[in-house]
Amino acid sequence: MNIVSTYTWCQFAPAFALVGLAALLILADALLPKLPKRIYAFIAAMGTFVAAYFLSNGEHADSFGCIASIATGLSILLAFDYTKVCCESIAGGDNEDGTGEFYALPLVACAGILCLTQARDLVMLFVSLEVITLTSYVMAGYFRRNQGSIEAGIKYLVLGAMSTGILVYGTAWYFGMIGSFNLGPETVIAALKGGVAGSPSLAIGFMMSIALLFAGAFFKIGAAPMHVWIPDVYQGAPTPTTAFLAVASKTAGFVVLCALALPFTQFAVPGSLIGKVLVTTFAIVAAATLLIGNLGAMRQTNVKRLLGYSSIGQAGFILIFFLQLQGPVTFFVCKYLLAYALATIAAFYAVAMVRTQRGSEEIAAFRGLGKTNPRTAFLITVCFASLAGVPLTMGFMVKLYSFVTVISVIQNWDAFCWLLPIMVVTAAAGFYYYFKVLRAMYWEKSQPGVPALQVPLCTSIVLALCAIALIYMGTMPLLTLG
Amino acid sequence: MIPLAHYLILSGILFSIGLAGVLIRKNIIVVFMCLEMMLTAANVALVAFSRAQGTAGVPVYDAQVLSLFITGIAAAEVAIGLALIVAMFRARRTVESTALNSLKD
Repeated sequence: MNIVSTYTWCQFAPAFALVGLAALLILADALLPKLPKRIYAFIAAMGTFVAAYFLSNGEHADSFGCIASIATGLSILLAFDYTKVCCESIAGGDNEDGTGEFYALPLVACAGILCLTQARDLVMLFVSLEVITLTSYVMAGYFRRNQGSIEAGIKYLVLGAMSTGILVYGTAWYFGMIGSFNLGPETVIAALKGGVAGSPSLAIGFMMSIALLFAGAFFKIGAAPMHVWIPDVYQGAPTPTTAFLAVASKTAGFVVLCALALPFTQFAVPGSLIGKVLVTTFAIVAAATLLIGNLGAMRQTNVKRLLGYSSIGQAGFILIFFLQLQGPVTFFVCKYLLAYALATIAAFYAVAMVRTQRGSEEIAAFRGLGKTNPRTAFLITVCFASLAGVPLTMGFMVKLYSFVTVISVIQNWDAFCWLLPIMVVTAAAGFYYYFKVLRAMYWEKSQPGVPALQVPLCTSIVLALCAIALIYMGTMPLLTLG
Repeated sequence: MIPLAHYLILSGILFSIGLAGVLIRKNIIVVFMCLEMMLTAANVALVAFSRAQGTAGVPVYDAQVLSLFITGIAAAEVAIGLALIVAMFRARRTVESTALNSLKD
């Protein structure tokens, strides 16, 4: 039998390199128990940055993979500054036993994301998605001395495995209706015009399989009906893991969604039934996601939980891009994800710093930062302002793209007018809850005797770089226009 | 010979029992068994489809390969899940999902 492979080994070179590095680190962890574990975090982070460099252009160019590996590297570096809490919550006290894997595991998950971006069929998609989620379960429940972390791990595992079950059942039906796992546009179009269109029962089975597959993808990005896990898991999981889930894992979710939705581009013209069904589904899911994420965030007092709801809300704005189906969807999704990633990672760095030194992740713990640490407070302000979408930050530019997209969709389809007011209201809600943190920093007095924060080296560098990048990419388009 | 529809009905029943169990049952170990049942449902459907799509008695092996992957992933998932359940039992002396109440709005 002649086996033709759709893939080349070379495509997966960055992923193999990361898995090899992770294996080396785990081996070193077992064989060299004397070595301080922070070194592993540093090496792992450098490994992902090198991978990101190779993914940024040239033979392996892959913008989703690049964003995901930078985000993974930054969340590992976050663990580097967070070692005190890591040791306390894993082995107890200053004991470093068992913390080594915590720095190596994100590499495996990142390799999964890099494979996912190369996936051209559902088998590859499913297996690499599982590499990511299985690793994330371990990472979410890693702080075994912390009740919240175990609870987050179990909740994530049960709901995640349920979504896996739904996705894989959809995969089985996709194969049954089409006869292959291929995800290319040709396959889908041939199936829709040929076999499936000719037989009503096949068409129903095909639509069912697509619906199940989309449900699995919506779970990963935390879109409306499948968002329930996000606030709990984000709050309970260790902060470096939360940063990974919020950015890298969400990027993976959007890769899956692109792979599933974009074969249907040809049907995205007003008048075609399939296009109408798809676009309406996306519009309803996006609206529900926007409302739940942004309105749910308003009453939160825990910053990690607030960022969890905020990530749901931001996913809603990204989902808007899928309404057009045609055109540079992936380009806009990447742009938005980049703005979201920079600001969110920086916010988690701030949370981790406050948690290490003040022992709390509540908004109240940020009080008085504007007085005691004015420079750090300013950098945090830039990041939260970008998340809210204040002009002159990158967050504003990408939200603008989202609004422009929805207006063009409304004109094309002559429908979905209700999306625009929902987006305006939710964007305004964003200003309210992101500014709650800023209000705590500048207008609320800290309790007397609370010392100024000692800003660790990595945290200050990453905060500064993220803030500069957000302002630079927010102002550059204006300068070039002029 | 058993027609394809019978296998699909079986897999549909397995999937529904699994999904209902995940949503209804309180004991996390039972919830895990139900999750496995959902994956098994997909396996049954895949193997049945692989036969049905085949020509001249030779099945399409792609689907059977995926079912092997699913089995492997399910095993990994159970290993992680049981480890988390043991950690939870040590901390709270129970494996009921109602005890998972420290994270909420």
